[in-house]
Amino acid sequence: MKSFEAYNPIVLTAYFLSVTLVLMFCQNPIFLLLSFLGALLYVLIRNQGENGKLHLHYFLLFLLFAILNPLFSHNGKTVLFVINDTLITLEAVVYGLVSAGCVITVLYWFYSFTKIMTRDKLLYVFGKLSPKLSLVLSMGLRYVPLFADKTMRIKNAQKALGLYKEDNILDKCRGDLRVFSILLTWALETGIITSDSMRARGYGKGKRTHFSIYKFHSCDYTLLLLVAVMLVFTLLGIGIGNIGFVFYPGMAWEDVNIFGILSYIFYGALAGLPTLIETGDRMKWKYLISKI
Amino acid sequence: MEILNIKNLNFTYPKCTAPSLRDVSFSIEDGDFTVLCGATGSGKTTLLRLLKHEIAPHGEKNGTILFFGEDISGVACEKVGFVMQNPDMQIVTDKVWHELAFGLENMGVSQNSIAKRVAEMASYFGIEHWYDRDTSTLSGGQKQLLNLAAVMVMDPMLLILDEPTSQLDPIAASYFISTLKKINLDFGITIIIIEHRLEELIPICDRLLVMENGSLLQNGGPKEVLSKMTADSGLIHSIPTAAKLYRMLGGTGDCPLTAREGRRWIKRNYSTECKGLKIPVYKHSDKSALEFKNVYFRYAKHLPDVLKSLDLNIFENEIFCILGGNGSGKTTSLSCAAGILKPYSGQIRIFGTKLQEYKNQSLYRNCISLLPQDITSIFLCHTVFEELAGTDIEMSDFPFDLSYLLDKHPYDLSGGEQQLLALAKVIAAKPKLLLMDEPTKGLDAEKKTEMLRVLHALKKNGITIVIVTHDVEFAAAVADRCALFFRGEVVSVGVPNEFFSENCFYTTTAARMTKGVFHNTVTVEQVASMCLQNGKKERYL
Repeated sequence: MKSFEAYNPIVLTAYFLSVTLVLMFCQNPIFLLLSFLGALLYVLIRNQGENGKLHLHYFLLFLLFAILNPLFSHNGKTVLFVINDTLITLEAVVYGLVSAGCVITVLYWFYSFTKIMTRDKLLYVFGKLSPKLSLVLSMGLRYVPLFADKTMRIKNAQKALGLYKEDNILDKCRGDLRVFSILLTWALETGIITSDSMRARGYGKGKRTHFSIYKFHSCDYTLLLLVAVMLVFTLLGIGIGNIGFVFYPGMAWEDVNIFGILSYIFYGALAGLPTLIETGDRMKWKYLISKI
Repeated sequence: MEILNIKNLNFTYPKCTAPSLRDVSFSIEDGDFTVLCGATGSGKTTLLRLLKHEIAPHGEKNGTILFFGEDISGVACEKVGFVMQNPDMQIVTDKVWHELAFGLENMGVSQNSIAKRVAEMASYFGIEHWYDRDTSTLSGGQKQLLNLAAVMVMDPMLLILDEPTSQLDPIAASYFISTLKKINLDFGITIIIIEHRLEELIPICDRLLVMENGSLLQNGGPKEVLSKMTADSGLIHSIPTAAKLYRMLGGTGDCPLTAREGRRWIKRNYSTECKGLKIPVYKHSDKSALEFKNVYFRYAKHLPDVLKSLDLNIFENEIFCILGGNGSGKTTSLSCAAGILKPYSGQIRIFGTKLQEYKNQSLYRNCISLLPQDITSIFLCHTVFEELAGTDIEMSDFPFDLSYLLDKHPYDLSGGEQQLLALAKVIAAKPKLLLMDEPTKGLDAEKKTEMLRVLHALKKNGITIVIVTHDVEFAAAVADRCALFFRGEVVSVGVPNEFFSENCFYTTTAARMTKGVFHNTVTVEQVASMCLQNGKKERYL
């Protein structure tokens, strides 16, 4: 067993897509609760309880979204109270809580995703979709720091040569325009040399292959299969499991059947998967250390 | 076995009347380490590019180039590797591992064998430690090593390098050259290299080719070529110090190439009774031009100090050279003096006035000018003429000639011409204090001599010059005083003769060659005059 983030980026992307898309397209409080617990636990276990600020921000955002709905939507049959001639209904409050929870949960998942998927992992995933795009992105990312560095150098050189006459905005703008024009010339020059360097190494000669430092190991296949099975059962439940929940005019559950219950179980397992893997990995290390 | 056979090669660029290559014929044995030298514009780069048909220049070509008996245009790309001058611009991708794999990807090699070959090369070149890094975070030396490794991974039979070390500092350059020699010895790969830095290359090369005006002048072993070289050849400045001494004194017999050989040669041929060279005492002016007082600087809060209690006083009208390794704070101190970086503690005074008191850019008006290391960043226009038109100074007032370059684009000039153009722009601003960062980077020996002359002319006009350089030979020749920086502090200051003869490692080849033989000799001219003063040994046979 290895840490969750060490799995192949494609498996990770598939996982995050499954877990968030199901949540986004299915407004179901139980799914939401499961997903929220899974996302929060994983963030907590990964950060070792740090990032208090993050949780505070998300909580404030949650409150904001939750309050907005009952203020503007007056549907629903159970009136809680009236403020300044505005009806606040129970259904609108619950709907607000659920949709705000949904947003926050997706944000939590996304937070983990951006922390785990570093730039080269994303490029690797793009590369699987389109190798050409991946190369272009890689070259682009190469140029960004190169250009930023050169811009800085040109600016400093211009300054130290006394080309900025005075400390005013107009002069600064003129100077920046000058910098931009030189940068353009220099970029063209760079482009010529880079393209020579590419041709000298056989670019454009024939069919390219695509190398990456990530590989599919057997455990990656296992995890992918696991995710697929859980996703299929979850979707099955969404399709024929009668798991619907109605907010307006009054809140009511549909008559859930066995597929519905199965889908809750499998989605719960899916959402808890990163936490489980992470915990398993930690336990294993603890065990190994105690043996050493 | 001949790897290359070139017969009667002529080449003319489109819209040019004069050919760039005239009747060049030579052949190279498999496994040779060949150095190709010649002045700027002698056709070296054109010749080498014609050997790599993917990037060969367009134009009219006559003659044959055979690679193992086969015409060069049919040779597979991976057989011939090409490394260019600029370390940055050759890098294509953002990650070190991706850059290494790039050539193999283009060849359509399978994922598994790419992984194997990249791993092999990365460990051979010691790249494993920075295998995962972004290419933009590497140093110049590492970048150039990566470029070499990215070509080597394709398993070439012929490796062509066009001034690969001209943008590197001397330590990185030495390492690069020794890596090349190692490749040559370990794999038997044939190497052709163009370089200005011949001091280290000539002793290790098998063959030396000399070009002039598009024709091949010399072709043979290094010792043989050096002894045949005529005194009016432009290359005479760039040959190793020992060989220079040998030529100056009209030596006969085997030509010495390294410091070790030079030392033996002096001891064998000249008496060494009188040891000390008399040096006129240097007196600096008592007015200070640039003064650092207890200056501290760091780039960010969490980073270590780059300048640590820096104390340095540079006097009016002197040429002052700052030497030191990478990261010792040389360039940072210049940027602080020019007001680009702000120290967090300490004081900098320029002509006695605090730096902060120069308000509203007045520091840069007829007072201070900084020539950056990356010289292309100061050019603004499309021709040399336009660059100079904005200034209110006559062409004839410059202590050098630029008139033959007026129509050219500044980017098309050679490194030396770019430096002179940059200097012209600076002189036009009439500074009293000129700060220069690595002015000899990428210059051939002839242009360095020119630079030396120009700087002395500027000094005569009353300008104070501070130079940051890695080039100890240049510093020894040009400086009134030198300082050695180490970890953000000045560890020693002195006039060149004392400064360099005290140092063991950070010194000129001439000083190393004569250590213990003569005192105070740091340039080859001084060694020669000591030899003459002592006279030749009498030989009783």
